[in-house]
Parts: sequence; C-alpha cells; structure tokens
Amino acid sequence: MKKATFSKLLLAFLLVFSLVLTACSKDGDKAKDSGDKGDKKTEEKEDGLYSIEDFSNTKTNEGKAIEGGNLNYGLVSDTAFEGTLNWNFYDGNPDAKILDWFDEPLLQWDVNYVYTNDGAASYETDAEVSPAVLEKLPAEQAAEVKENGVTITFKIRDNVNWHDGKPVTAEDWAFAHEVIANPKYDGVRYGDITNVVGVEEYHDGKADSITGIEVIDEKTLKITYKEQSPSLLTGGIWTYPLAKHIFGDMPVDKISSSKEVREKPIGFGPFIVDSIVPGESVVMKKNADYWRGEPKLDSVTIKVVNPTVVVQALEKGEIDTVSEFPVDQFPANAKMSNVEYLGAIDRAYTYIGFKLGSYDKENKSIKPDPNAKMADVKLRQAMWHAVDNDTVGKKFYHGLRWNATTLIPPSHPEFHDATNEGRKYDPEKAKQLLDEAGYKDVDGDGIREDKNGKPFVINFASMSGGDTAEPLAKYYIQAWKEVGLNVELLDGRLQEFNTFYDRVGQAGDDDPAVDIYQGAWGVGIDVDPTGLYGNVMFNFSRWQNDKNDELLAKGISKDAFDVEYRKEVYNKWQQLMVDEVPVFPTLYRAILVPVNNRVQNYSIEEGWNEKQDIAVTSEKALKAK
Amino acid sequence: MWKFSLRRIITMIPQIILLSIVVFILAKMMPGDALTGLIDPNIDPSTIEEKREALGLNDPWYEQYANWISGVLHGDLGQSFKFKMPVSELVWQRLVNTFWLSVLTLIITYLIAVPLGITSGRFHDTWADRIITGYTYIGFAAPLFIFALVMLWIFGFYLDWFPTGGSVKPGIEPGTLDYFMSKVYHMLLPALSMALISTVSTVQYLRSEIIDTKQKDFILTARAKGASESRVYNRHILRNSLLPIAAFFGYEISGLIGGSIFIENIFGYPGMGQLFLNSILLRDYSVVTALVLLFGIFTILGSLLSDIVLSIVDPRIRIK
Repeated sequence: MKKATFSKLLLAFLLVFSLVLTACSKDGDKAKDSGDKGDKKTEEKEDGLYSIEDFSNTKTNEGKAIEGGNLNYGLVSDTAFEGTLNWNFYDGNPDAKILDWFDEPLLQWDVNYVYTNDGAASYETDAEVSPAVLEKLPAEQAAEVKENGVTITFKIRDNVNWHDGKPVTAEDWAFAHEVIANPKYDGVRYGDITNVVGVEEYHDGKADSITGIEVIDEKTLKITYKEQSPSLLTGGIWTYPLAKHIFGDMPVDKISSSKEVREKPIGFGPFIVDSIVPGESVVMKKNADYWRGEPKLDSVTIKVVNPTVVVQALEKGEIDTVSEFPVDQFPANAKMSNVEYLGAIDRAYTYIGFKLGSYDKENKSIKPDPNAKMADVKLRQAMWHAVDNDTVGKKFYHGLRWNATTLIPPSHPEFHDATNEGRKYDPEKAKQLLDEAGYKDVDGDGIREDKNGKPFVINFASMSGGDTAEPLAKYYIQAWKEVGLNVELLDGRLQEFNTFYDRVGQAGDDDPAVDIYQGAWGVGIDVDPTGLYGNVMFNFSRWQNDKNDELLAKGISKDAFDVEYRKEVYNKWQQLMVDEVPVFPTLYRAILVPVNNRVQNYSIEEGWNEKQDIAVTSEKALKAK
Repeated sequence: MWKFSLRRIITMIPQIILLSIVVFILAKMMPGDALTGLIDPNIDPSTIEEKREALGLNDPWYEQYANWISGVLHGDLGQSFKFKMPVSELVWQRLVNTFWLSVLTLIITYLIAVPLGITSGRFHDTWADRIITGYTYIGFAAPLFIFALVMLWIFGFYLDWFPTGGSVKPGIEPGTLDYFMSKVYHMLLPALSMALISTVSTVQYLRSEIIDTKQKDFILTARAKGASESRVYNRHILRNSLLPIAAFFGYEISGLIGGSIFIENIFGYPGMGQLFLNSILLRDYSVVTALVLLFGIFTILGSLLSDIVLSIVDPRIRIK
C-alpha cells in the first residue's frame, strides 16, 4: 500500500518536472525562431550536429567601417590573469592573449608554421657557419658545429620601434637570450634556446657572453645554432627581444616583478598598454608608429570574463570577441544573431595511452618493460578497434570533436596524413585480434581471461573535469566490455588533474597501478613529435621502438628540409603508430570564436597578425535580437 | 580589557604556529606542485626539473617549512610562483578589493536585517512576519552561487543596471572621484547578492531573540512604568536582543575577509576568495600558506573583537 502512494507521488513529481521542462524548451524554440532572420553559415546538420568545415576562420565584413572606435576583447578565464606581461617571462595562457595585442614576435610564421620574411625581421641562412664563432670554440666543438650547425642572419626592419620610440635593436634580441640563459632567470623558456651555441656555457657560468650570438650592427644579428633541422624554422628560434634600455640594469630575478613588466609593459605591437587593473582588465591605445601602419582602431579594452557568463556578455555586446569560447556552449547558442562564429582546428588531440614501462629518473631515460600487462600489440590494436570515436564525437560534442585517425592532427595540414584512416571501429575485428592473442573467455562469463587463463583486469586512469568526463570514461569501459575486456576505473573514480599527471608520470614516478590512461596533448607549432614520443619524460606510455627512433631522427635531419621527404617520413611515422599503438588518438577538436558583426578584418587563422587592420562599423557593439 | 586583549594575542601565537605547520604539511601532501600545470611539449622537461630544484620543491617539507617561516619572521611571505611577484604585494592588492566588498556587504546585511528582524519579531504571527520568515527560508534554501548567477543575469544582463564583472571600469585614473564611484558601482551587485542571502540568519536570530525578550519580566515592568510602546521596543527590547548579533559580528568580519569564493568567481571580482581557490588549484604554495596564516590571524582577531563588542553591548559581561 505504502509503495503505491510513493509511486503515485513520484509520478506526480515527474509530471510537474516534465511540464517545467516542456515550458523551458518552448522558450528555447521561440528564441531560435527570432534568431533565424540573421542566419549565418553555421548550418545545423542532422540532429543538431555541426562540422568544423562549415566555419570560416576569417570574419566576413559587413557594412562600412567607422573611423577609430574601441574593441572589447573578452579574456575568458575563471581566474585573474597573472600579469607577467612580457614574452620572455610569461607562462600563463591569459597573459599570452594580452601580450598578443601589444607585442609580437620578430619573425612571423605562415599557415604551415614556417617562419616567413614578412614579419618585423627577416632571416637568411648563411652559406656556412660563421667563422668568427668557430674561432672562439674549442677545436672539437668547432668541428661539430661546422658539421651540424647553421648560422642565420636576422635583419630587423628599420621602422620597428619600441613603444617609447627607441628602435628595436639587435642588442635587444641578444639581450633576451642572455636573460633567459641567466641562471637567475625565473621563467620557463631556457629549453627553447639551448640550441644556440654557447648558451649552456653561459648558463653554467663558464663564459661571460654567448659565443653563438654576434651583433653585427644596430639592426643585424647573427645567431649560430648547434643543430640544423627543419624544426629550427618552425618555432626553434627565440624571436622575442627584450628592451635593453629598460631592463639592462635590472637584476635578472627582479625583472618579472618589475613595474615595466606588470604596470607599464612595453612592446612594439600595434597597441600600447595604457592602464592595467591587476588581474581583471587592460586598456590599450593605438600605436600610431606601428611598423605595419597605423591601426584603424583607437583603442582595445581587454577584460576577464568568466566562462559562465560569456554568452550573456556576447549577446549584450559587452564584448566583441573572446580569447576562447567554451565549445560545449555552442549548440545552445549557435543562432546568436549578433555574432559570426569563426572556427579552426585546434592544435590538440585527445588520446588513450598504454603503460608499457617505467621511467628511470637517474639516467633520464624511459625503461620499457617487455612483460607489461599491455605489452601485446594485438591487445592494444583490439582496444582501438573496440571504441567508436565517431559516435563519441557526435553524441558528446555535437560533432565539434570528431574521430581522430593519426597522431599528427589536421591542424598541421602539411603533415597530417589524411589518407591514413587509423583503426576503424570494428568490434568483430577486435574480438578476432584478442582471440589470436590468446585472451580467451575460459570460464564463460563473457569476460576474457589473460593468456594463462587468469582473471584479467585493466585499470583505466581518466581525468575529472567538465560534464562529459564521467560519461565518456563509462562509454569507453562499456565499449571494451562488449569485446570482452574487463576495464575498471582506477580506484573506481576519475582522477583530479594533478593526481592524474603525478600517477601517469609527469615527474617520472609512474604509478604501476595505471594500465591505460586517457590524456590530451596540445601540440607545438613544429610537427616534430620527439617531445612526446622520443626518449623523454612526457612519453608517458614509456614505449620504445627502434623504427620510431629512426623516423623521429629522420624527421629533423638535414634531408628533411625537403618538405616532400619530411612528409614521407612523418607519414611512415603515423602508420608506425597505427601499427604499434603505444597510444591511440581518440578525438580531434574544433576551436570556435564568436565575433561581433560590427568587427571587420578579424581572423583566427594561424600566423595571422594584421591587428592594425581591425575596424568596427559602429561605436557600440551590436546586441543580440 | 587591555590585559585581556594582550593575553588573547599572546595565546594566539602558538595557535598560529601550529596552524601554519598543519597547513604547510597538508599543502605538501596535495598531489602535484606549482610546475605540474606546465606539462606542455613546448617546454623542456629538464627546464621544469631545474626550476623544481631551484624552488626547493625537492627538499623535505621541514626544510622548506624552515625556509618559509624564517622568511615570514623577517616579514617576507615569499614569492608567488604563478604570479611571479611578492606574495605580500599580491595579497595586498586582493585584500583591498575584498575589504571594501566586505564592508559594503556588512552594511547592506545589517540594513536589511535590523528592520526586518524587528518587524517580524514585534509583529510576530502576522502576515508581515510570515512574509519575512518566508523570505528567510528561501534564503536558507537558495544556494549562493545559483542565486548570484540569477542576480547577475537579471540585474546585470537583462535589466542592464549594473556592470557584470571586474572591480572597476577599465581605463579610469585611480584616485579620482570617478574611480571611486566606479568601484562602488561594481561592488553593489555582488555585495547585494551576498547580503540578501547572508542576512537571513541574522534576521532569524533577531526575530527569535525579540520574541523571547518580549515575554521577559523586565519588559512587563517597563510597560507598567508607563513607557511608550516605541520606547519599550527601541530601548528595552532591541538592546537586549542585539547580543547574539554582536557576538557574531567579529566572526562575520573574519569570514568576509576570507572572501566569497562563489561571489568573486561569478562576478570576476579579484579578491581573496578567488586568489585562495586558484592558488590551491595551481599549487602556488607560498600564496596558500600565507593566506591561511592570514585567515587564521583574522579569525582569532575576529573572535577577540566579538568579545569586546559583547562587553560593550552588555555591561553584565565582564572580561578579565
């Protein structure tokens, strides 16, 4: 009797609840209808799915631009920005987004991430290694540098000046290297410049100056690098000068906290920092002396916007565009009438890795274990075949993340092998591979035992964060169960970010309890994957393979200056990773950036840096209808 | 009273030392450190390892603690790894923001609480009382972060009456009247959101205290003497009913100094609560320990303040 009342109550409750829900969805429909008039290219495909191909990465211009105007840029972050506003010292992403507006690298790169000669400086590779540098080196090292090294001559344009009117000089560029190599330097960029001849000696206090850097005249600089490789020209050069006339007399460990970095930062970009409210906003005015020409906008206001209110701020026209947009909020706001969404492929992928060894901290080397639980390549292949990432992308991310095929994401169009399909979803094949490998269901409970007929449990480490983390992990576990593998969440729960990376081995202390893990990598602008899959700490799967070493070395060899050759090498490498599966990529991702309709000449294309051309068509941003 | 205050402050010292040790150990037990967030293939792992060594993160905790505490005794709270600036400067920046937000919140809280409490206590079991208690129940039930989001949406975005983030309009010269007005304007909505929720407990305390006092014998005496109704309420009842509120005053202040993590995050208001949460997430140990130390000191000072205020409001309480 009691039960009946309870179920009645429950029914009543559900009814009320569903009424509320329908009421809500009605409202939603209405909003959609009114938005239809200002419809954009963002078309909805079957069942609310989207595709990155429907987005442009450059803003379409509408109307006529006005003189001047102010652009409001929302820095989307739930934390205050750190305010280390100098390229040589920053390490937070919000700071970088602010830096982009008032300072820039001396060398610009193109869509393939290769340095061009269109930037504030141009470069030319010398025919041979600078004799002046070789002279100063001990004979043995000189021979080595002569053989493998390269000298590059940089010329800074004459009209490139700091915001205070002083020219940007070769001295400033050399000074940046000296500061970074200084043992008291408190930033994280030292690893970026160790390829310069003499930097290590300077860092260790064995030399008073950096041998490899020669200041030829005010605007000309020669830098000699130890290793010549194609990677050098895709992000291997430190291109951010440091104003010596300002920071020259400052103790190196005091620069990052100085007024000239935090309150009145200096650069040579299109805008000049006017005022800063620490942690929340920055106002910039135009730099009339900008070397690419006077900016069209009068000013730019950057302020921190919490991700929870970013949609409202955009609808209200409080901000014109944002540093990043939470893609999961897109489907509900796809029809926002006052913005155009720009899209690009993120330089990142999500992946699942298999633990195949451990890290030897003493020798700084990975230590593969041939007897690891996941050591059988067929097991790993089967686990890839067992998951349907296409559906995952559609169901969890509305198509804004999609099935990944290889470990070089399509954000690197030159090197991503589009013909390589990875391993497709094929549970039958997965079962067959497992049978072949000897993982058979001995006791008939639907779960496979290991090769010796013992119970076989795989521990899966996955990170918490976001609404999808848990259902996603559950989906994978379910998918593996369908082919008969018993996968369990490590400790029965998701791992918090810090714990996750500690246990996976970010400091080399791998937790042996982890068998497989789900992580994500943002990849550098250089395609070379050695930093993730070579003999390095971040090779979390601790996988080692001679063929892999060989291909990685070939990819950055002198021969690889020939793009076709390099492509071939990386195609082979992508296939090797599909064959060996030390990790497998699961999803590629889209970046979406809404931009108010009044904004012109805005782009999120890689290497785009024409901020002086940005203009607006009205004083105030347009509001959503 | 001075003797009492001095004694309280002296006994506070070992408490704070103990607190700092506990906090330090707990902070070290958290997985990861300030450099974990730098997992990025573009940054050389050996650079990270070098930084770790330079920051002393590989030393045993007692050595790190000794280093830190000796710095604190010299007035140096250390350097924030994340912000690359002295902790004392960083905390000061945020403390100013939080302090003014707290003052405004307190003022609004009492502005709401006292009249509502008195009305509902004096006319209890009337419609006015029912409405007020109804409000307090809703206040108790409404989670602050949802309430704040709703407030932000209605008054900030929909009606457009208030700014929706930050502590001041970008680009105003500090020190001018405009700057001050803009600061107050930016604080109003977060302060109001917080006050509307946090005031409900004070309303309830006041109400039940007034109802309680109303029935005491000395009120009967006062009425018998022929004191007017308003005199009875304002002088006799109210003063006696303020005791619990006064007792909470000091704690309330220390609570507010800690900032509201929810409010500050939702309104993008850079204050102590936001700083504290982020420092924990980013494992910026020097900031975390400095903040906990600060919160500890404020809590102890707050309770001292409560005692003193109590002795002023109620002369029967003597502190020795």
